[in-house]
Amino acid sequence: MQTIDITLTINEQTHTLAVKPNDTLLEVVRDYLDLTGSKEGCGEGVCGSCTVLLDGHPVRACLTLALEADGSAVTTVEGLADEDTLSPLQQSFIDHGAVQCGFCTPGMLMSATALLKEQPSPDRKAVRKALSGNICRCTGYAKIVDAVEHAARPEPGCPDCHTKDTGENHD
Amino acid sequence: MRLPQFTYHSPDTLEGVLALLDEYRDQAGVLAGGTDLLVRMKHRLTLPKVLVSLKHLDTLSYIKETSGMLCIGAKTPIIDVIRSDKVHQQAPALGQACERIGAVSIQHFRGTMGGNILQDNRCIHYNQSQFHRSGRQPCHKDGGKICYARDEADRCNSTCQSDGATALTALDAQLTLNSTRGERRVALDAFYTTDGIHPFDMQPDELLTQIDIPVVPGAVSTYERLSFRSAIDYPIVCAGVRLVPDPDDSGCIGSARIVVGAMGRSPLFLAQVSRSLAGVTFDDTAALEKAGKDAMNAAAAFAAHNAGAELAYRQAMVEKMVARALTQAAARPSARKAR
Repeated sequence: MQTIDITLTINEQTHTLAVKPNDTLLEVVRDYLDLTGSKEGCGEGVCGSCTVLLDGHPVRACLTLALEADGSAVTTVEGLADEDTLSPLQQSFIDHGAVQCGFCTPGMLMSATALLKEQPSPDRKAVRKALSGNICRCTGYAKIVDAVEHAARPEPGCPDCHTKDTGENHD
Repeated sequence: MRLPQFTYHSPDTLEGVLALLDEYRDQAGVLAGGTDLLVRMKHRLTLPKVLVSLKHLDTLSYIKETSGMLCIGAKTPIIDVIRSDKVHQQAPALGQACERIGAVSIQHFRGTMGGNILQDNRCIHYNQSQFHRSGRQPCHKDGGKICYARDEADRCNSTCQSDGATALTALDAQLTLNSTRGERRVALDAFYTTDGIHPFDMQPDELLTQIDIPVVPGAVSTYERLSFRSAIDYPIVCAGVRLVPDPDDSGCIGSARIVVGAMGRSPLFLAQVSRSLAGVTFDDTAALEKAGKDAMNAAAAFAAHNAGAELAYRQAMVEKMVARALTQAAARPSARKAR
């Protein structure tokens, strides 16, 4: 089968890869590059667990051909942390208990990262809308929305926003 | 889920795309955003041998106003339509419809305006995985002779669930189709074949390039939609309306266009109900609500069990969607000015 060389900048690292026409971006990041943070849930653009940023915009990696992403910059969930330091959003997910089974988390983080980049201090409605394409089958939406809402703007009365100060809930 | 195998082309020019479509015809699929096509390919509902990508055709991505028309390039991403002030001012129904298409991370950046109009008709019995479909006889759209949406139907009863198409039909939009044979323009409401299997009057070598929306002074338009989950599901009923004030400045509706979507095999332009609104004042709520009821009666016959909600519910909701859209349109500031 025909293979085509493409160049992808993934998490600020440039890769030149020979891909098949029917490889999706998700298959390339997971199977070629072992970046298994992005998950395949439904594989048909419904659940959102494969969301990555393509040139800064959230897209479904399972419905994007790798060839269509040629020459683009891709950010996956692995690209959010700065080495050992989690991004404020990731930390907020931990602090607010927004991770249950964790399968939807990479997609939630990517959709929310895109939102916060555009709207640094979104209200609850904006957060819910931005995350409306991501499904959490543990149904832990309230805490996820809390985590995003409070990531950029810790809320005075919220006990979880301050766990990182006391170091109580995590090692 | 793996995609089936295909050969990939991404020409740099429109001529290049048209030449490939002319060469491969039925065997070619046009890839713009892929949010509809790739899902159908994964389900093995369509198996193009060749995919012609519009990746390099950024010349087809624009929103501009020329000589009384709002022109939208077929490859314009949904997000650009949502963010366009021109669209919200001149064709608010389209802006509202685009805001309701899918979720930010599914369609808005990858999905395109042209792709939204050209999304294939859907049916809850047909748009299923290959495994699901393998357990029973194929339906009409799948190459068989059975319809699961309507008992003993001799033809396909899939429905057009495009938000954009319903709004654009209400706005009386026109499409420009290009092929190596030349260019052709067609009104959107004449573009549908009422055949659920091949819903569009479009040859395999043609490419949708532009959508033109007439800018009518004083016209108001709105779009209303009902779906189970806002971001993930297609509409189970939707309605687009456009009201043009009477040119004599009498505070009356001069002409109306009422379109009901997700009921028939194409967006249903209800000509008779639309005509009944001519001469009605914008604040005549009773007349607008009656039009909703008439729209329900006219559209109900087209409904089939193809969208996963109870038929009686969907039929009843036509009235609500149309009445709501009309009331909102009539209450828009520019309609008030006409009073």
